[in-house]
Amino acid sequence: MNTSGTSQNFHEELVALLPRLRRFARNLTRNPHDADDMVQIAIERAITRTDQRQPDARLDGWMFKIVRNAWIDEMRSRGRRNKIFAPEEAGERIGSEAIQQEVTLMSVQAAMLRLPEEQRMAVSLVLIEGLSYKEAAEILEVPIGTLTSRLARGRETLQVILGGEGEIK
Amino acid sequence: MNISDETIMAYSDGELSAEERAAVERAIQGNPELEMRVARHRGLRDRLKLAYSAELSEPVPDRLLAAARRAASAPTDGKVVNLNDARQAAQDDSRAANDESPYKTGWRSLGGIAAGILLGLGVGYGMWQQGGGPITRDASGALVATGRLKSALTAQLTADQTPTSRVHIGISFRSKAGDFCRSFALSGAAAPVGVACHHGAEWQIQSLMKGEAGEVGGQYRTAGTEMPPLLLKSIEAEISGEPLDQAAEAVARQQGWQAPAR
Repeated sequence: MNTSGTSQNFHEELVALLPRLRRFARNLTRNPHDADDMVQIAIERAITRTDQRQPDARLDGWMFKIVRNAWIDEMRSRGRRNKIFAPEEAGERIGSEAIQQEVTLMSVQAAMLRLPEEQRMAVSLVLIEGLSYKEAAEILEVPIGTLTSRLARGRETLQVILGGEGEIK
Repeated sequence: MNISDETIMAYSDGELSAEERAAVERAIQGNPELEMRVARHRGLRDRLKLAYSAELSEPVPDRLLAAARRAASAPTDGKVVNLNDARQAAQDDSRAANDESPYKTGWRSLGGIAAGILLGLGVGYGMWQQGGGPITRDASGALVATGRLKSALTAQLTADQTPTSRVHIGISFRSKAGDFCRSFALSGAAAPVGVACHHGAEWQIQSLMKGEAGEVGGQYRTAGTEMPPLLLKSIEAEISGEPLDQAAEAVARQQGWQAPAR
């Protein structure tokens, strides 16, 4: 294993990144509990895969990608499980706490929740996390053109939800 | 000059090259409509940043901090523990071996979230090592029972235990891999519960999670019915046949929890 990956510096960077990782994961999963679980899985995966990280790759982008892949795995796994356990699982997952949190979310966050995942991810990475188009496209594994069109559509939808400014052209 | 929406957006986000930027700036000069579009893009970004800025100052849960710190102190010889990956590998094996059982799907589904939770606790317990906690890591990095937990798993029969036992054994069973496994509950604030399987000379911790309100009035409740649903599901998925009854449990103990060939 690449020892530089588990250096003190890596640890400090990772701890410092946790708030942003959680925020990104919440935008991804739309559920704070799932978000923290995904962050935890991503940390554990990252530890064993430091050798797969490009030396010049930003830690935030690399970790965002691992969080996203963990969520993709989780959704696949739930898809399988739901074929058998759908009724109970649905009841378990929608806790009153989650609903309460959604109700009290600020309007911008509520608007974000209404975006399709593709657009929400583009908006989250570029506008909230401040990544470049190129970095965001790499994380989402799409061409830059796809990223920008998702970003444009996401913005448009948010403008419409947040104040009807979308009509102004 | 015709300027596309995407160009305006990219300009607003600082994504254009110097030449492109200069071209857009020339076009914007004296064009209030373009100016407004840029302002809208930037205004939305500011609004989003503001709406999500508070989350950055929220306290980070201990389990995540512990996981991230573990990253630094982890051994760098390639034997870093990753329960999640180990579990995934085990699932892949069992999936290949037996795909018709309905439980398979349930077990697999634990892979993501449950393993994350288990891992968080596991990492925490791993760090107790110096303090002589009930769980430690062996040379290969696997979580194994030690101290009072190991003693209880090895010696304690469910028939003998009392509500004041510091470790409470729930059920004993044979895993699909053939090992003897026992569910346990520990006293303490986190009231962790889990499953350990006897493998080699050790009790390997297969799953570990936070128990729910483990202590009631200073007395430990009987394990079993109060086990978290997630733990029960993991047992359902791992169990081969029925749980051991008291007689079978006593025999297994007498034989040192060595799995008989079958």
